[in-house]
Amino acid sequence: MSLLEIKDLKTNIRLRKGEVKAVGGISLSINAGETVGLVGESGCGKTMTGMSIMRLLPSSGYIAGGSITLDGEDLVKLTEPQMRKVRGNDIGMIFQDPMTSLNPCLTIGTQIAESVVLHKGVSKADGLKRAMEVLDLVGMPKPSERIGDFPHQLSGGLRQRVMIAMALACEPKLLIADEPTTALDVTIQAQILELLDTLKNQLRMAMLLITHDMGVIAGRADRVTVMYAGKVVESAPTDKIFSATNHPYTEALLASIPKIDGTTKRLYSIPGIPPDLSNPPEGCRFAARCRLADDHCVTTSPELNSYDGHSYACFHPIGIETEHVKVETRTLEEAEAPYVPTGRPIMVLDHVSKEFTITKGAILQRKAGTLKAVSDLSLTIYEGETLGIVGESGCGKSTTGSMMVALEKPTSGTIEFNGENLFGLKESELRTRRSNLQLMFQDPYASLDPRMRVGSIIREPLEINKIGTRSERDAKVVSLLGEVGLSPKAVERYPHEFSGGQRQRIGLARALALNPKLIVADEPVSALDVSIRSQVLNLMKDLQSTHGLTYVVISHDLSVVRFLADRIGVMYLGKLVEIGNGYDIYENPAHPYTAALLSAVPVPEPELERTKNRRVIKGELPSAINPPSGCRFRTRCDRMQPICSDEEPPMSNFGGIHEAACHFPLVTPVTIGQAPLLV
Amino acid sequence: MIAFLVRRIGQSIVVLIGVSIIAFILEHLLPGGPAKAIIGPRATPIQIAAFNHQNGLDKPVVVQYFVYMWHLLQGNLGRSYKLNQTVNSILIRTVPESILLVGSALVFSLIIAIPIGIYQAVKRNGIFDYTATSISFLLYSMPSFWLGIILILFLAVNVHFLPAEAPQGANLGAILAHPSGLVLPILTLTLVSYASFSRYMRSSAIEALAQDWIRTAKAKGLSQRTILFKHMLRNALIPIATLVGLSLPSLITAGVITESVFNFPGTGFVFINAANTEDYSLLLGIIIFVGVLTVVGNLIADIAYAVLDPRVRYR
Repeated sequence: MSLLEIKDLKTNIRLRKGEVKAVGGISLSINAGETVGLVGESGCGKTMTGMSIMRLLPSSGYIAGGSITLDGEDLVKLTEPQMRKVRGNDIGMIFQDPMTSLNPCLTIGTQIAESVVLHKGVSKADGLKRAMEVLDLVGMPKPSERIGDFPHQLSGGLRQRVMIAMALACEPKLLIADEPTTALDVTIQAQILELLDTLKNQLRMAMLLITHDMGVIAGRADRVTVMYAGKVVESAPTDKIFSATNHPYTEALLASIPKIDGTTKRLYSIPGIPPDLSNPPEGCRFAARCRLADDHCVTTSPELNSYDGHSYACFHPIGIETEHVKVETRTLEEAEAPYVPTGRPIMVLDHVSKEFTITKGAILQRKAGTLKAVSDLSLTIYEGETLGIVGESGCGKSTTGSMMVALEKPTSGTIEFNGENLFGLKESELRTRRSNLQLMFQDPYASLDPRMRVGSIIREPLEINKIGTRSERDAKVVSLLGEVGLSPKAVERYPHEFSGGQRQRIGLARALALNPKLIVADEPVSALDVSIRSQVLNLMKDLQSTHGLTYVVISHDLSVVRFLADRIGVMYLGKLVEIGNGYDIYENPAHPYTAALLSAVPVPEPELERTKNRRVIKGELPSAINPPSGCRFRTRCDRMQPICSDEEPPMSNFGGIHEAACHFPLVTPVTIGQAPLLV
Repeated sequence: MIAFLVRRIGQSIVVLIGVSIIAFILEHLLPGGPAKAIIGPRATPIQIAAFNHQNGLDKPVVVQYFVYMWHLLQGNLGRSYKLNQTVNSILIRTVPESILLVGSALVFSLIIAIPIGIYQAVKRNGIFDYTATSISFLLYSMPSFWLGIILILFLAVNVHFLPAEAPQGANLGAILAHPSGLVLPILTLTLVSYASFSRYMRSSAIEALAQDWIRTAKAKGLSQRTILFKHMLRNALIPIATLVGLSLPSLITAGVITESVFNFPGTGFVFINAANTEDYSLLLGIIIFVGVLTVVGNLIADIAYAVLDPRVRYR
């Protein structure tokens, strides 16, 4: 018998008008020692399933039917005091955001110890002793010194370790990890996932891994359950989900993710948005967006069919009755063909640095140090190309983007656009150049004025620059909306009436209004769900070819950058450490940081994920106020030698446009910078 | 923590100097002046000049200010010519009585407001919450003198349940000997400050309860009681500590008014009389004293804030 057995679970959320059927009758089982992945987009009910198991639903939510059996005991029937004995004792839970999930007023020791004291009936001193043990177990450096720390004294990665320690302190039988690494950087994500895996085996726990990231699932789960709109659509061993997909939704989800080998030419995108769960459709919930749906699908809800441990809820299962979807791809040779910039240089960054002064004190602002956000960055952007910039948070990629569109002034160095030094211009001259430099923002919810109609939002840049007559402007707005795939009726509506993906389209229309030459897209799709993300990414590609745009795409998502970019720059702690075309960076990286970053990125290919040589980067990003001397990556690098701390590595060429700054690169350089190479 | 305290105390001193300057200038802008007030409205210019010279009032304002501050530093607040007593002696007599009134009202209102606010937050949008919200809004919108009169009308005049006037006595002991007379003034002031405290407590508890770490605490299997009192309360009290500090001036003002409504022999009562009789040196002394009290109150609130919130402590 399995450890956890969910049968036909229904969870509803009461609203003022009606009820949202967040979980619409799902069944799921987890065996002891097994990791089951629960995937789906936001609003599909995956988190509500986790919360239902813990019986920690919001006050308006309730379990409307079904059973959740843990070790032969139905959790749904337990009283609240009985349930409290299960929480934290039999089932531990880890949440998404470690920055907000710990009580800021209590020390981490107290917070870990309290569940031990509660469930194991030990003294407070013994509870703290146990807290120390588990902190050691989760890899907290020097746990005895950390036990009295408050959460704000720890970094995000360490806080998530504390969360894990807290969940594991009583050695639960089941661990529910709800997006445990979504708020973390890739290198820290890799550390935490590795840790969870190790601990799971060590303690022989079962784990329910809830995530939207197919890559995370691929490497860590034994079995995967895919949810859509409150229903299970497919459930199978991990390999089968990826290689022998049966449900069109799973297939579409996988086809929406760009392949990291660069063979994706155009992404598959699921049209439309998920259904409203306060009034779910009668038939298959995916029918409205499905490429295979017929009348039968719309009227009748499909049951789960099972064979060989694989189950799917579909009348037209792929690979059994129907063909796979065709995704436009290019061959590996095409993907690996060296890219040579053909356009003229449109923007040249020459030894650009940006420092921010850190001050202390409220009245007398004493200088406490300088944060070196970007240091000595030189690169050229060619007309018509897409330059990708990748790196972890705090590496200076967004600051670089702001300087490119002249929103931040470099502390030193010059930025030339079309042959003019942007920061040598007068303020009035610079203003006339700004229409050529536009920005696409990350958060589609925060970047549109909620009190302006969409028409005014897009028209505003035209008005400011006094372009065209009133009727010409109106016509331009309508044509822009058409280009980004929105109806002309959108003009009269307000941003809150649109979904995230549609808002990102509005943002793109606004950026395009002035026919810019260069668009800097700062994390353009990271706030969007996978299926919506692919629509926006395809659109960005289309607009580039129709408008002859030059893009700078800033992202932490390496597969997005691979899909969009011709050339990719890798930044670490304010420094450009490597730059080259897609093949150079992804298949033939020279800098150990690039290689480590790539190996940390979870790829939605189970085979690759399991077999790949994980170069998990140790430790955390050092402070940019006091960056390490010499090579800034040396503190986390496994190839570190004395020269790395003494001398800053110069940029060396690795053939073609491939350059990297490392004393001990992973591949042999063609020409070396001024510094001698030591072997 | 020490550095934090030193910085806060330094700021407090700056604020106090500001208060003394403003109060001193305002006093000198007032028409009349002490000479007329003492000698009488028919005083001749010669008499006034003689009085001013005798009391150093003919010197430039700046000099007078420094003389005053010099005395102040020695703990001497000057002399009330009207009452022919030192301001110090008047304050020593009346301040304990006012502290009894304002202090106990503050304590009582917090004792009532904190649990009720938390209960409202836990059972929000229920009948109790709506009722408590309505009552606190009602009290919030009532001026303290009117509330005092209403209470007198209902509890002292219509029903002879409590005395309408505060006990009269020269010292604290004499007042405490008749506790029933204290009930109405303290009740008035308690109700007035309860209103805003309970509103803030409710919203700050609601905010704290919506935090992710409350969910973490629940996921550990802690009981509602532990979650409320170990996890939520301390976080929710952080904004209340600031609020108490900030509401001290308004509480003292309400105290002044309440004292005159109930004929309560405290500093506020003396203050109103001083204003009516143009007893400027007494007014100035009280203003500066209240200024010190407010600044010290805020300092205590800041310290409480730091004790409650480790993020402030370690900055």
